[in-house]
Amino acid sequence: MNFMGIEQFPDYKVPGTQHQDFSPYESNGGSIVAIAGDDYVVIAADTRLSSGYTIHTRKQNKLFQLSGKTVLGSTGCWCDTLALTALVKARMQMYEHTHLKTMSTDAIAQMLSIIMYNKRFFPYYVSNVLAGLDNEGKGVVYSYDPIGHCERATYRAGGSAGALLQPVLDNQIGFKNMQLDGEIPKVSKDRAVAIATDTFISAAERDIYTGDAVCINIITKDGIEVKEVQLRKD
Amino acid sequence: MFLTRSEYDRGVNTFSPEGRLFQVEYAIEAIKLGSTAIGICTSEGVVLAVEKRITSSLMVPSTVEKIVEVDKHIGCATSGLMADARTLIERARVECQNHWFVYNERMSIESCAQAVSALAIQFGDSGDGGSAMSRPFGVAILFAGIEEGKPQLWHMDPSGTYIRYGAKAIGSGSEGAQQNLQDNYTAEMSLNDAIVLALNTLKQVMEDKINSTNVEVMTMTSEKLFRMHTKEEVEQIISDLA
Repeated sequence: MNFMGIEQFPDYKVPGTQHQDFSPYESNGGSIVAIAGDDYVVIAADTRLSSGYTIHTRKQNKLFQLSGKTVLGSTGCWCDTLALTALVKARMQMYEHTHLKTMSTDAIAQMLSIIMYNKRFFPYYVSNVLAGLDNEGKGVVYSYDPIGHCERATYRAGGSAGALLQPVLDNQIGFKNMQLDGEIPKVSKDRAVAIATDTFISAAERDIYTGDAVCINIITKDGIEVKEVQLRKD
Repeated sequence: MFLTRSEYDRGVNTFSPEGRLFQVEYAIEAIKLGSTAIGICTSEGVVLAVEKRITSSLMVPSTVEKIVEVDKHIGCATSGLMADARTLIERARVECQNHWFVYNERMSIESCAQAVSALAIQFGDSGDGGSAMSRPFGVAILFAGIEEGKPQLWHMDPSGTYIRYGAKAIGSGSEGAQQNLQDNYTAEMSLNDAIVLALNTLKQVMEDKINSTNVEVMTMTSEKLFRMHTKEEVEQIISDLA
């Protein structure tokens, strides 16, 4: 190409250079299961952190203890999880200073929804499940979509194997599509822990982003008990 | 030599050598020109009773609003400059709604008083956010509310100080009224006794003869929350007064 007698660079694509799109998101995998009972709530998350076929670590805890009776499980884009949980913790500290009390689980649930919706057009790429005891001491589970829609439930699965785990919970805890005489049977704390563990063992078989180990937090009025169960590591 | 007051009472951002802010003190004095308002807290609920000055027979008394609803669970009685009161009440309402929106729970009475006090002390002529007012607000507020099923009464003055009370009187008749409350108030008294005490106290300190048009009565209970008493109810209570 010639312009005013000077040879210019050609305007076809030059080999060796390429345009890079800005991709701010990454999926680091991970799954969460939470089950609430009358006086307890169990929340479990696996400990694998990966991207693509690479495993970054096999022991990353994805459960964040926000207060003595509230735990947030957060997976998805790990850097977004870190930014979000840091903000939630800061906001909780500010609440404690201005209102002279610890935030209730329900207050945290609503605040989390608003924090997430505030980034409606550049969302935190996270799958959140919040578990805790409400003001009456009952177990509650809140689940979220990445832009802050919040739903109160009694059991929920989220994260990369969420779609694999939820039907198992629907069957084992919700007794969905079954002919039952009378009420849905209540699930004991030990059974909830057992079901949560089993769902993770199954998920680790099928989902490459779930595995290594599962960290379980059991929240009761007496405090938070932490357990770990090993999963397959391949 | 300086005259103690005259040189240091102009600016709101200059302390006098004795460490006083005269404009704030004058604002507190301004409350004493306002109509009397009384709040009494019992275990059953809080009662707020205020005097309304009807300065002309052509005035429509119902348009003088001295007791207002801030949220379902918080009510306010004001004394002093009504226009200033509106500004503070507006802030209280916004803060209560915002708290409910963000945390899905009712704001505590103390936090509400704290939020209003933050606005009340934003006077002066500098600051990053730009101040809301060039002078202190000439208003005292009584907050009556229900928190976790229990009644509370808080008082805030133009200096932004907020304190919880069992019984409190503000406005022109406050000194006599407060003394009367001191003598007759007990924490164990019933809500009905509190209403009678509030109106009896008002009756004593008011210049005009008490009637159902020149007083307003509100009760805050955990069952009914904010409830203004009707003209007929007030008339009944007044006729029952000794």
